[in-house]
Amino acid sequence: MKKGLFFVLLVAIITLAGCSGSDKNTIEFWTPLTGEDGAYMDQLVEAYNETEPEFKVKHVVTSDMYTKMYTVLNSGKGIPDLSIIHADRVPSFVKQDLLEPMTTIVEQQSELNQDNYLDVAWESGVIDGTQYTIPLDIHSNAMYYNEDLLKEYGVENWLDDNVITFDEMLSMEGKLAENQFIVNDALMSWVILAQIQNLGGDIQVDGEPAVNTPEMKQAIEAAKQVADAGLMTPYGEDGYLMFQSGDVFFSTDGTWSSTGHAEVEGLNFGVTNIYSFEPDVYHNRASSHLFAMLANEDRTDEKEQGIGEFLEFIRQNSLVWAEAGQIVASTDVVESADYDQYMQSFFTSTPEQEESLYIYTYEYYPYIQEALDMYVADLVHGEMDIDEGLAEMQKFVEDKVNEGTLDVENAPDELPEEE
Amino acid sequence: MQNKRNFAPIFFVGPHIILFIVFILIPSIYGIYASFTKWNLVADPVWVGLDNYKTILADSDSTFNSQFLNGLKNTLLFVVLSVPLMIIIPLMIAVSLEHKEVKLKNLFQTLLYVPGLISISAAALIWSLIFNKQLGIVNNLFGSEAVWTTTQPYAWITIIVVTVWAGIGGNMIIYRAGINGVSRDLYESAEIDGAGSIRKFFSITLPSIKFPLIYTLVMTTAGAFNVFAQPLMMTSGGPRQGTTVLMMYIRDLAFSHGESIAGMASAMAVLLGLVILVISAFQYYAMSRNA
Repeated sequence: MKKGLFFVLLVAIITLAGCSGSDKNTIEFWTPLTGEDGAYMDQLVEAYNETEPEFKVKHVVTSDMYTKMYTVLNSGKGIPDLSIIHADRVPSFVKQDLLEPMTTIVEQQSELNQDNYLDVAWESGVIDGTQYTIPLDIHSNAMYYNEDLLKEYGVENWLDDNVITFDEMLSMEGKLAENQFIVNDALMSWVILAQIQNLGGDIQVDGEPAVNTPEMKQAIEAAKQVADAGLMTPYGEDGYLMFQSGDVFFSTDGTWSSTGHAEVEGLNFGVTNIYSFEPDVYHNRASSHLFAMLANEDRTDEKEQGIGEFLEFIRQNSLVWAEAGQIVASTDVVESADYDQYMQSFFTSTPEQEESLYIYTYEYYPYIQEALDMYVADLVHGEMDIDEGLAEMQKFVEDKVNEGTLDVENAPDELPEEE
Repeated sequence: MQNKRNFAPIFFVGPHIILFIVFILIPSIYGIYASFTKWNLVADPVWVGLDNYKTILADSDSTFNSQFLNGLKNTLLFVVLSVPLMIIIPLMIAVSLEHKEVKLKNLFQTLLYVPGLISISAAALIWSLIFNKQLGIVNNLFGSEAVWTTTQPYAWITIIVVTVWAGIGGNMIIYRAGINGVSRDLYESAEIDGAGSIRKFFSITLPSIKFPLIYTLVMTTAGAFNVFAQPLMMTSGGPRQGTTVLMMYIRDLAFSHGESIAGMASAMAVLLGLVILVISAFQYYAMSRNA
């Protein structure tokens, strides 16, 4: 019997030990792409591995990826060779010395250069002139419209200039049938962030976070006006589903939602820009999935070369990624005729459209996004006084900035020492 | 005399001790240490002494102070609302299942137990649809117009309903086991003495299942303090952060999009742990003394 116990322990030890130590000829590739996105990435990785490269790629979909990244960075073991991170993480990752620059890879693969990618995606990986990431896509806030409703109310002309304005929406006050709405409140914080750009504002002043600004107030008040007029789906109701059930003119969700909307039978829809104040100034708040290498001394030069080859393959072959509803960052793909069939090609159809995609790269942007997500619904739907809310949000971000930033003088080495 | 040391107990207890040390003891100690530091999870923690606790408890200007107080208030509210229901309802069900004329006892027991096995996220999704204003059966059945998850007190009601629905099974099983262990003779002699069913419940059943009651009360209370998934999934903490519980703030501080504020989060977690410890100890003391 004791032998049995020994055996069990032995097996346990061997299995646990087996977990560590990755294969020398495999590129371990972490992504936060759960759900369908992950399946499309699997397809891409599989296609690459079929080309018999020296370094095969192993795609690991990692839920709660950023937490796990901190864990492996701290222990120095099991750090992935390549990963996908979001654009808004880049500044703080670089500040903390967590990213390896793409310098050598860009030198080896001459096609991995700014000309071959959408500018805004490429630039979101540049910090102080150093390239830290290679972009995969841009995923943007987008506004879907219900074709049938626009026709029914005779306002298809709203789409002529590709921008719906607040005034156009407000003109429908009192004209809608019961339980119909002009717009839902999906991704409201992103919509507000777009309005701040439309109003010429920003979320920082000289590097300090600026949430309580006249532009922020104006943006929230404008959205509140739409809600007060009874034109926005009510607080707490599932505006996304209400759009899909055909009761809402516009849905302000993301480029990736087109696949979900397409599955709804009888829903005739198209995509346009997020609503704005004036037809000639419009922005869509976007983010980007970026390939990045976490700092790791164990990554060999050969492996880095392998990573470069994989990224070049993705650059040429990421049309599959458009299936997931994302705006592919590689211009080869975006300019190919096949890409036009995808709804999100709207956002790269003209240079002006391309410029409407706005990625916030301010260092403390994540805290501001967090504050907006926590407060904006209450403010827009009139649950909370706007001035009071703005003051609390400003304080919220400032406190987090102060607490999240280590004082330089007493901060030890930024990176944990590698064993 | 043969001096043969017996290793068998070590093998039985060992795995548990190892797991306990690796996954509970060391992380707890490190968590307490982290609460005295400024730490972003990546760089080395910087010792700041009691600063985090001072900010959380005394600096009324600070966001962390208001978050802690609001989170603690909401957590306490949840505990006060949910724990009595999680004790009384399972107890009543367990007692009624003992009645002679109840048929299909095991079927009922299974039906009530199964919700506890369903992942709380999946359950919360189902319940959000049930409470959905347009599609949900609740509004259609009762003809109410409320948007449940964003209006008080309905937001709390949805959270409590999900919690009770998922939680009664576990306690019920424990009470049933306890009641089954009570000698039939006691009930029979009480009946001969002319005791009614209410008298029998208070004079025989309750005192006999004292320890299961203490156990479930302490565990349910401690569990309720750690509530997280139900408000996150059902109400996202709204309206106006009215259902944002302490665990949600702790998680946001440590593992949100921005640079982590793990030291402050640890301090809040330690304070929450202390509250749980004190209340559990008091409950245990009060109940074992009175019973």
